[in-house]
This record gives sequence, structure tokens and C-alpha cells, in this order.
Amino acid sequence: MISVDRISKSYGQIHAVRDVSFSIQRGQCVGLLGPNGAGKSTTIKIITGLIPPTAGSARVGELDTIDDSIRARRLIGYLPESNALYPEMRVRDYLAFRSRLYPLSRAQRSRGIEMALERCWLKDVAHRRIGQLSKGYKQRTGLAAALVHSPPVLVLDEPTSGLDPTQISETRGLIKSLASDRTVLVCSHILPEIELTCDRVLIIARGRLRADGSPRDLVRTMHTGGEHVVEAAVPAALREQAHRALAGVKGVTAVRFEAAKSSNDWAHYAVSTDAGHPDVREGLARAMGELGALVREIRRPSATLEQVFMRVIESDAEEAPR
Amino acid sequence: MRALGAILWREYASFFRLPLGWVVVALFLCLSGVFFMDGAVRPGSPATMREFFAVWWGLLLFLAPAVSMRLFSEELRSGTIETMLGAPVSEAVLVAGKYLAGVAFLLTMLAPTLVYVGVLEWLSRPDYGPVASGYLGLVLLGMLYLAVGTLASATTASQTLAFLGTLVVLLMLDVLPRQVAGHLPERAAQTLIAFSPSQRARDFYQGLIDTAHIAYFLLACVWVLAIATVVLQSRRWR
Repeated sequence: MISVDRISKSYGQIHAVRDVSFSIQRGQCVGLLGPNGAGKSTTIKIITGLIPPTAGSARVGELDTIDDSIRARRLIGYLPESNALYPEMRVRDYLAFRSRLYPLSRAQRSRGIEMALERCWLKDVAHRRIGQLSKGYKQRTGLAAALVHSPPVLVLDEPTSGLDPTQISETRGLIKSLASDRTVLVCSHILPEIELTCDRVLIIARGRLRADGSPRDLVRTMHTGGEHVVEAAVPAALREQAHRALAGVKGVTAVRFEAAKSSNDWAHYAVSTDAGHPDVREGLARAMGELGALVREIRRPSATLEQVFMRVIESDAEEAPR
Repeated sequence: MRALGAILWREYASFFRLPLGWVVVALFLCLSGVFFMDGAVRPGSPATMREFFAVWWGLLLFLAPAVSMRLFSEELRSGTIETMLGAPVSEAVLVAGKYLAGVAFLLTMLAPTLVYVGVLEWLSRPDYGPVASGYLGLVLLGMLYLAVGTLASATTASQTLAFLGTLVVLLMLDVLPRQVAGHLPERAAQTLIAFSPSQRARDFYQGLIDTAHIAYFLLACVWVLAIATVVLQSRRWR
């Protein structure tokens, strides 16, 4: 539904986006992640036809966002990051105005307005002036305006900005429900939100696409080493021996004794592994078993999307010319 | 066409949702009323509106920039321009919609002055031909002023700058030539005055409807609005 083919965008000597390609299928909900100035907004503006790329092309449906811009824009519901609205207008009037910018019949417009008010929980404030609304309601009004013409593609830039935790949770649910019958591209800084909402993540850094995959796949492929925690009943006299046994397991790079308040307490070891051996739990269990120590738990804390994101950004920074 | 109507109506209604629109209308009606009462409701004064149109031109010189200054500047300042440019509407439709809203506001502002025609009718027997042509001249002049204001508004996010920019251009078009003309050779002076919109409008106040003048005003409006459209389009390429 969205196809981005080798787009680049330069402003003089500054390269905002460089050779970015990806495509999003109908019904997918995709998160676009990246630090400030990474090129997310530029990418979104190219997709929504607001700016042309310096090179490459973007298509929505079968329509080029520049050559066939107006028809392409009819397919998109866009919530910009600034979510600027007309404060003097009432919510319902604003939605009516936005719906009239699209080629819809009176009945379609009426249905679209009611649907948008309903899905964005705006019924109670439909007759209030936008300028009098809280930030959360304004954000919902922007979202409703993006939905009012029932577009097959939704592009949402920071959709939960300014919302309280309850509203964030509700908006997350709304985006998920919207993604069931349309294509959604969400740009956000809030990583857990993307992880919970989207079934695919694109990470952009310094204008380049650095990672593309489902949150689970990204976590799995990026988690190439890490920490294990071993909790076992090890008498004080055997602690040194246990330390050596754990350190001797293939793939283990370091062992750190962490806690045991008394000699009879459960001992905690933090075990670091190398990139080639991401999971050494069997080896650790065997080593402790041979020592006769009772193992209560061997835990491998799973990586989060945030760790993946940080690793991508750090590796990108290392590659950056100094 | 529906999008044009939607933009026109939203913009027109917004004039009356904000204090600025009411202030401009009140100011125009108050000042125009004072001039009318002073000039017309006097024994022996002619039953004509000619002099008032010439005075109202002076009001338009300041009020037209006040009307047009927020058309695009406010959208650029608040960021709503991004939403509008993201909608399936061409820049030409956007410019036309906002400009026509300004023209509709101008007509609304002038409409109550028809009461003065009624007062003239009550006091004596006015010649309706020059009155009608005078209104036509004033509307054409206002349309050109609003077109210049629309262009100025499309270039800056500051309403103050848009107002001042429009005012400076209008003064250069309409006031400066009269001041300079006296110091120029006759031919050069005539050429300079010929480009002055208010000078052309004077013929309308006297009851002369010259199609060349109408063409001048309409073409000038289209030309200035075309530049405003290009200015807006150029935002995509920056």
C-alpha cells in the first residue's frame, strides 16, 4: 500500500534522508523509530506528498505522491506532529470542514464525521470550540480529522503526544483496531508504544534505514549476547569453586558474584556471555549440578526494543565520520 | 469546487469568530458614516456618493491589509498550513478560496453602506448610475488590494509583516505616483498614474464604466494571485 523506493532528500549540504526503501502491505501497522533529526519527519512528509524527494519516489496505492499528488493524498489520513487546529472552530464543524476537502457524498461525509467522533471519544465535546479543549482532546480531534474520510492509509506522527496514561492506552487500542482494516504508519519516540502497537518496526538513523522487522525478530536478532542470572544454594566454602565452574562454561566471558547475606543464603551470580553464545543456560545448569549446588533459577533477561534501538543508534554513531 | 467552497466558507466564518473581523467592520462603518454625515446631510450638498467613494478608498488602503494579513500568515504561524497542504487540494484552490473569502468579507463590510443610498433617496433624488458604478469601482479596487494582501500573507508567518508589507506596496502603487508625478515630464507622469489603481477607480465614481479598467483590475488580481500560488507551491520545494 505504501512503497518507498530509494528516496533521498537533501537541503544543501545536509542529507536528511539517504537512499531509504521499504514497502508496507495493506493491513500492516508499522512503527517508524529514530532519534531527533534522524529523518523520520522528512520521510513522512515525502510519503504524504508534502515535499518531493531529491531522488527516488514514494507511492501510495499505485499513485506517485508527487506526480499524482492530489489523488494520492485522498488515500491518506495524516496527523502531523504539530497537530495544528483552528481554535475558533467547534469540533464537529472542523470535522465537517475537513471532510468537505475530499470527494465524498453528503451521506458519506455525515457517516465519516459520526464514525470519527465515536472512535476518538469526542461525542461529548463535539460542540465545544477546539481552543477550549485539553491537549488530549485536541490530539483526539487531530486523529479524528485524519480518519474522517475513512482513508485506507493512516500516517500518524506522534499520535499519543500530550495524552495521559489512560488516553495513551485507549489510543493504542484505537490504532490497533484501525490497523485491522487499513495500513497504518506510526512515527513515535515512545518505544514501548511502538512495541505494543505495531507488527513491524523501521529504525532510521542519520537519514538511513538501519533496521526493519517485527519487534520480536529485531529483539531476537539483535540480542547477540548478554547477561544471565544464576540463583543457587552454594555454601560459602564452595563459592570460589562455583565461580570457576560457571566461568568454565563455553561462551561465558565473565562471572560476577552478586549477593548472599549469610552462608546459608541463596547466591546470585551474574554471568556475561559472548556474541556467539547468546543462550548458555544448559551449560550453567550442568556446571552447578556437577558441583551439587541446588539451582533455583537461571534467568536470561530478554532484550527490549529500547535496547535494540539504542544498539542501532550506537552502532550508527560509531560508523559516523568524525 | 466543493473544496473551494469549504475553504471559502471556513475562512469567511472565521472573520466573524474572531474580534478582528468585527473591529474592521465597525471601524469602516463608523468612519464611513462620519464622512457621510459630514458631507451629505447638509443643506445644498449634491445628491451624489462620488466624494464618499474617494474617501472610502483611503479607508480601504488600511483596512484591506488588516483583512488579508491573517489569510496565510496565521496558517503559517500555527502550522495548520501543513494539514491544508496535506489535504487533496491544490495550492491554487487554497489561494482562491481564501482570497474569495476576503472578497466576501469586503462585500459584507460594504453592504451596510447601502443605507447611505437610502438616506440620499430620502433627502433628494440621487442618480443611481454613478452610485452603482462607484460601488463597482470600490469593489474592484478592494479586490486588487486584497490580492496584494493575500500575496504578502503567503510570504510570511508574521501578520504584522504581512500588514505592513501590503500597506507599503499599496502606498507605492497609489500614493507615491501622485507625489512623484509632479516632478516628472508629462508623458512619464501620465504613464505612472495610469498604473495607479485608485486613479482608474476614480472614473467609476464619476459614473464611467470602462471595460479597459475592469480588465486591468481583474487581470492584475489574477496575476498577483498566481504569484501567491507559486509562493505557496515553493514551500514544498524548500
